[in-house]
Amino acid sequence: MSVDLDHTPRCLLVSDRSSFLHEKNRINSQVEQLNFNYKVSLLLPECGSTPSHLDSMLNNFSTFYLIRKLPIYELLDKRFLETAVYQGCVYGLSYRTRIDEDICVALMPNGHLCLSLDKDSFQVLGVEGKASRFSHRTKSRYVVSVDMTESSMVPGGRGYLRLLTGLKSRLPLKSDFLLSHHPGGGASLQALLSRYDWSEHKPEVSTHALTCLSCPTQLTSIPPNFDPHSFLEWLGAVDADISCENSSCSFLSSLACPEPKTMLSQALRVSVCGLLLPQDILRLIQEIRCYLDQPQLQSWVALTVHGFVDSPVSWGGREHGALRGGENFYTLLMGEDHTYHLHLVTGAHDTCPP
Amino acid sequence: MSVFMDLNLIYTGDRTGLRTLLETAAHLGFSTVAINYVFEPTSKKKQEIPTPTPINELIDHLPVVQGRSRPIRVLNRLTVVMSDSSHFRPNATEYRSFDLLAVQPTTEKLFHAACMLYDVDIICISVSEKLPFFFKRAPVNGAADRGVVFEVSYSAAIRDSTLRRYTIANAINLMESCKGRNVILSSAAEKALELRGPYDVTNLGLLFGLSDGDAKEAVCSTCRSVLLHAETRKTASGIIYTMRSCSDSAGQEGAPGDPEHGDPPAAKRHKLVLTQ
Repeated sequence: MSVDLDHTPRCLLVSDRSSFLHEKNRINSQVEQLNFNYKVSLLLPECGSTPSHLDSMLNNFSTFYLIRKLPIYELLDKRFLETAVYQGCVYGLSYRTRIDEDICVALMPNGHLCLSLDKDSFQVLGVEGKASRFSHRTKSRYVVSVDMTESSMVPGGRGYLRLLTGLKSRLPLKSDFLLSHHPGGGASLQALLSRYDWSEHKPEVSTHALTCLSCPTQLTSIPPNFDPHSFLEWLGAVDADISCENSSCSFLSSLACPEPKTMLSQALRVSVCGLLLPQDILRLIQEIRCYLDQPQLQSWVALTVHGFVDSPVSWGGREHGALRGGENFYTLLMGEDHTYHLHLVTGAHDTCPP
Repeated sequence: MSVFMDLNLIYTGDRTGLRTLLETAAHLGFSTVAINYVFEPTSKKKQEIPTPTPINELIDHLPVVQGRSRPIRVLNRLTVVMSDSSHFRPNATEYRSFDLLAVQPTTEKLFHAACMLYDVDIICISVSEKLPFFFKRAPVNGAADRGVVFEVSYSAAIRDSTLRRYTIANAINLMESCKGRNVILSSAAEKALELRGPYDVTNLGLLFGLSDGDAKEAVCSTCRSVLLHAETRKTASGIIYTMRSCSDSAGQEGAPGDPEHGDPPAAKRHKLVLTQ
C-alpha cells in the first residue's frame, strides 16, 4: 500500500467579486458575521508611511478587557444580562484555551452563549447539547449553545436555573476571558469587571516598511489574473516575512511570486492585533475606499482579517474546529473604482463561509 | 478531542536528563506523559522487574504545560519485551505499581497471545528490525475489541536512517491490518531533542498511512482511552475500586460495640408474639 502524500489538508475557499457601489453586495453581512477577529493586516503598495487618516483610524479601534479567572456562571448574572447582553452588543471569548484540548466559551452579540466541551465535562455539566459536527470515529467534543434571549433562559426560568447550577456546582468553569462592548463603553461591563482581576487593552498596531517587493501585476483585473490559491499564498508570505525569491541556494522556502510580476520599490505592511469588532473593520474599509479615491500611484490595497483559531464559532455562529490549524480568515482586495475581490478561507474542521 | 499525550518517555536513570525531557514535553504542549521502564528478561538469569521511582523524587515542581494553567501529568509505565511466553506473568504483583502496562512481542505466536489473551494496555510494534511476521486481521481485530492499542514510536526514525525505513515499513504494515483504528504514536525519547510537538506527530502519522482524523486521534483521544483502559485493569471492570484507608488505629476508636467492654452491638430484637 502506498501512502498518498499528495493529499494536502483540506481547506474551504469561497471567492466573491463585486463592487461597493452595487446595491446587492454582501460585504457588510460577510464582515459582520465573523464576530471574533484577532488580527487585521493591511498591505499598502507604493506607500512609505501610513496615511494620517488611516493611521488615526487604526489607532482608534475599540479597547477590550481581559478578565483573569472569570467563573463562567458570572456570564449568567442577572444584572450583566440586563445591562449588557440584552442590549445586544457584548463580544466575549475565553482566552488561552485551546479548541481541541480545553473548554472554550464564546458570548456572541446576538445573546448566544456557546460552550465547546470535551466528553467528560459535557457529561458532568448535564445541559442539553449536540455532538460536534467534526467528530471522527467517536464523539469526543460536544457543543452547548444557549440563546440567552429566549423565554426559557430568562433569569429564574427552568433552562436558566439548570445551566446556572451546572456551571456553579457540577462543573465550575473558570477561565481568562476577553470581553468587548460596542458601542465603546465599559460602563455596562463595570459591574462584572469590578468583581474580578481585569485589565483594559488597546489593540496593538505594528507597522513595517518593505522595499523591493515583487508583486503580481494587474491584481484587480476582471476576470482575475491569478487563481486565489497562489495569490493568497503570496500575500501570506509577505505578511509572514517569508522570502519569495526562491533562490537556488536557499532551502527554507520555495514559495514564489505568481507570474507575471513587477517590482514595487516600497510597500507598507500594517497589522492590528487584539479582540477586534466587525464594526471597526467596516469603518476601516470605508476609510480605505476614501484613500483609494484620491489620485495615487497604486491601484489596490489588500486587507486580511483573521478570526481566532481557538474560537468555538466562526461565521454566523456556526461551529469552528481545528484539525491541524484552525484558520478562518478573509482577504479583501480593493481596487480603485470601488471594486473588490473577496476570498473567505477556512480550514478542514469548519463550515462553509457565507 | 482530548488533551495531547505522549505515553513513552524512556527512563534512563539520569535525573537531569529526565527533568529536561519533562520540561520539553510541557513546553511542546503535551499535557500527560508516561515514563517507560523497559524490562527485557533473558532466560539466562533471573531479573527483577524494576520498581518505579515516585514522581516527586524525580522532579520537584512539575512544569506547567505551555498555553494552559495546569502542570504536566506524569505516569509510570512498564514495557515487557517478550521473546518467550514465560516472560510475561499475568497478575504479577509487581505490575500493580505501574499505571500502564505494555508488551513488545517478537514472534507471531506471542503477538497473537498478546492480542487475544494478555491483560495489557499497549502492544508495541518493534521499530529496530524488519518484523519477522505479518499482522493478521484476526488478532488485530481481537485486540481492538478488547480495547488494547498498538503503539508506533518515532524517535528511532529521528536517530538513524535504516531505522527510519523499518519504522515506516512496519507502521504501514500495521495500518493495513488495523485500518488506522486503535493506534497511538509516541516518541520513545531518551533525550529532549528527540521529542516533537503534537501537530508534528500528527503529520508524521500521515506518513505512516493514517488519515487526517486518525492521525490526530492517535495523539489525543486514543491515548485517553488507553488511560481509561488501564484504570479498569486495576478495578473490577471500572465499576468498583478499593482505596487503602489512611490509618487503622483511628478507625478502631470509632468502632461501635467493642466486645471487650461487654456491650453487644445493636441488633434487631425478635418481637415476642403473645399467645393466648
